[in-house]
Amino acid sequence: MSTTLSYDRLSEEEKHSQFMERIESGEKIEADDWMPKDYRMTLIKLISMHGISEIMGALPEKEWVPKAPSLRRKLGIMAKVQDEMGHGQLLLRVAEDLMKPMGKTREEIMQDLFRGDLKFHNVFHMPAPTWGDAGLIGWLVDGAAIITQTNMLKASYGPYARALKRICAEEVFHAQHGEAIIMALAEGTEEQRALIQDAIDRWWESLLMFFGPASATTTGTSKQDTTIKYRIRTKTNEELRQAFLDKYIPRVLSLGLTIPDETLHYDKEKQQWVYQQPDWNEFKNIVRNNGPKSKDRLDLRITAYENNAWVREALSPDGAVV
Amino acid sequence: MTNNGREFYQEFEVFSSKSNGEQVQHQFSLLAPNEEIALVMAQENFMRRQPVADIWVVKRSNVRKMTQEEKGSLQRLDNKEYRTTKGYGYLKKKWRHYEQNILDEKEILSWGGDDKK
Amino acid sequence: MKSAQEAQADPKYKTAVTELLYQLADDDFIIAFRGSEWLGLAPHIEEDVAFSSINQDTMGHAAIYYQLLEALGEGDADALAHDREAGQRKNAILLEEVNGPGHYLKKPLYDWAFAVVRHYFYAQAKKVRIESLKNSSYQPLADAAVKINMELYYHLLHWKTWFTQLVTAKGEAPERMKNAIDKVCEDMEGVLTLGPKGANMAALGLIEEEKLLTQRWHNEMEKVFEPLPISLPPVQAKRGNGREGVHTEDLNSALATLGEVYKQDPVASW
Repeated sequence: MSTTLSYDRLSEEEKHSQFMERIESGEKIEADDWMPKDYRMTLIKLISMHGISEIMGALPEKEWVPKAPSLRRKLGIMAKVQDEMGHGQLLLRVAEDLMKPMGKTREEIMQDLFRGDLKFHNVFHMPAPTWGDAGLIGWLVDGAAIITQTNMLKASYGPYARALKRICAEEVFHAQHGEAIIMALAEGTEEQRALIQDAIDRWWESLLMFFGPASATTTGTSKQDTTIKYRIRTKTNEELRQAFLDKYIPRVLSLGLTIPDETLHYDKEKQQWVYQQPDWNEFKNIVRNNGPKSKDRLDLRITAYENNAWVREALSPDGAVV
Repeated sequence: MTNNGREFYQEFEVFSSKSNGEQVQHQFSLLAPNEEIALVMAQENFMRRQPVADIWVVKRSNVRKMTQEEKGSLQRLDNKEYRTTKGYGYLKKKWRHYEQNILDEKEILSWGGDDKK
Repeated sequence: MKSAQEAQADPKYKTAVTELLYQLADDDFIIAFRGSEWLGLAPHIEEDVAFSSINQDTMGHAAIYYQLLEALGEGDADALAHDREAGQRKNAILLEEVNGPGHYLKKPLYDWAFAVVRHYFYAQAKKVRIESLKNSSYQPLADAAVKINMELYYHLLHWKTWFTQLVTAKGEAPERMKNAIDKVCEDMEGVLTLGPKGANMAALGLIEEEKLLTQRWHNEMEKVFEPLPISLPPVQAKRGNGREGVHTEDLNSALATLGEVYKQDPVASW
């Protein structure tokens, strides 16, 4: 602890510099601690988007829950999608506590989502038309998510770091769940192999987009500098994308699958992957809820939320009927 | 009409112990309209993959937390050896002089063990 | 009977135990399927997570029963779950019914009151049955019942909590719950019955008599309803007896969905 003085007597600037000292020395910030408004807003934006993406991310996979092709797969994917909802729960609780001083609750988070003010990850706007997609989401989309989430395990904000610790522990199961589906398909019939190759071809661009643009000049917005400054994350978008390519390209190729980018190669000198840039204008378009499945998934979420409103009203402790 | 169901989202802190005889530990928080629902949500939300022997749920508003300023009251000087065995280490040498062993933590806590010896 | 081998050597016994296992397996399988369609659509996120655990448990119980059938020479457990026509299924009609209007991917106007009542009444019926099965003459089934019983405490606690709270809640909840109770009771007898071969099952000590089990279910229900402002309507089997292979269109559409990928290549490994 670097502070012994009464907090109330400190000026905003003194509080700010003490705050920066604390996070730079590796201290964790807790929900009720003083924090710069910029820090709070950055966290709210990051964590509410992360949380709601988990909730929306359950939807493309949800399609395959009742359809999974064996008892074991049905159980596995139920548990996996349940975890996504569970991760959403953890993250939204963290975001909700940050929003509380502003009088906001989960109700506002949901309404923000429905109005289109709260965005969710680009990958969850995409269709998942086959069982191959169910496998690919578990394998590569979760793989990408693991890379970004482990990058924030030491985040300066304690509640987020603790939620991520729980989440990452479960992601290990998700990674293996995805690999199990993919392995069965890869070692299966021609038709089964085609299911994964089609899914890779369909998802490749979305996977590259997952990490966001390399710099703000690409799309006009990027929070990466702020999040690095505040010790929320350590690596840049491009470093994360490179780490993903490092880990997963050899695995994809080892199964005899191909990546739909003829220009893709490893530059030994620069020690990085060179790849065809995805269409970043399309990325902006997708995250503004203009992706192929954006409307359907939002509709599904809105329908479910409104359809159950009577339950929440009925059990609201102060919800006396007038 | 009612309050739109917004009050449904009451905050509860969840605590649990891993096995019989273990102390409870804080797990996380959840939203539920009342403590009965909070209790049936708790295990599956936070302890799906670990053993649980007991669960407590506590309404967040019943937890008196410290402010950042109050946390300052938790600091103290490192001059309280007299409260710990560290302040009495010299006894070891003294007892040796009388051909006796010091009754240290290891020795004293071993007295509660089974009497087979 | 200690083992599948012994049971197979006695055709009359084997027929009865097989019939009972199909009922148990198909009931759990289809209601877990209906529950899995709810994933992501529950009244709040915390409940989505809790409900999913119950569905996983229940599907896990179905898998145990299908494996017992596999051991009796009925075929591969996955084939039994995914590849039997509606007419061969022995589940109660109540459990195959859709969750409400709409589809799990499009405009699901699912009825939480119906979900709570159906799952609660079913969990209580299952509990009564499992208690009896702990003493089944078929040892592998008795062993399974001991294990399955462990998870039923939570299912019952969970559904009973939602049930009693919503029945006595404010607003439109009591009315919705009453409608759901009426709807569930119209087909609840189909859950409680052991079908035309029930007497045989009891005679062979596989499970106690249907009449006795039904009475126990009613006794449990009376305890729950006693302090509540409503009463339990008579239970019926309005749409027929699923134990005799009588089913509705809802089962056909469920089977088409749950077997969609499996049937693309039933011999492939998935």
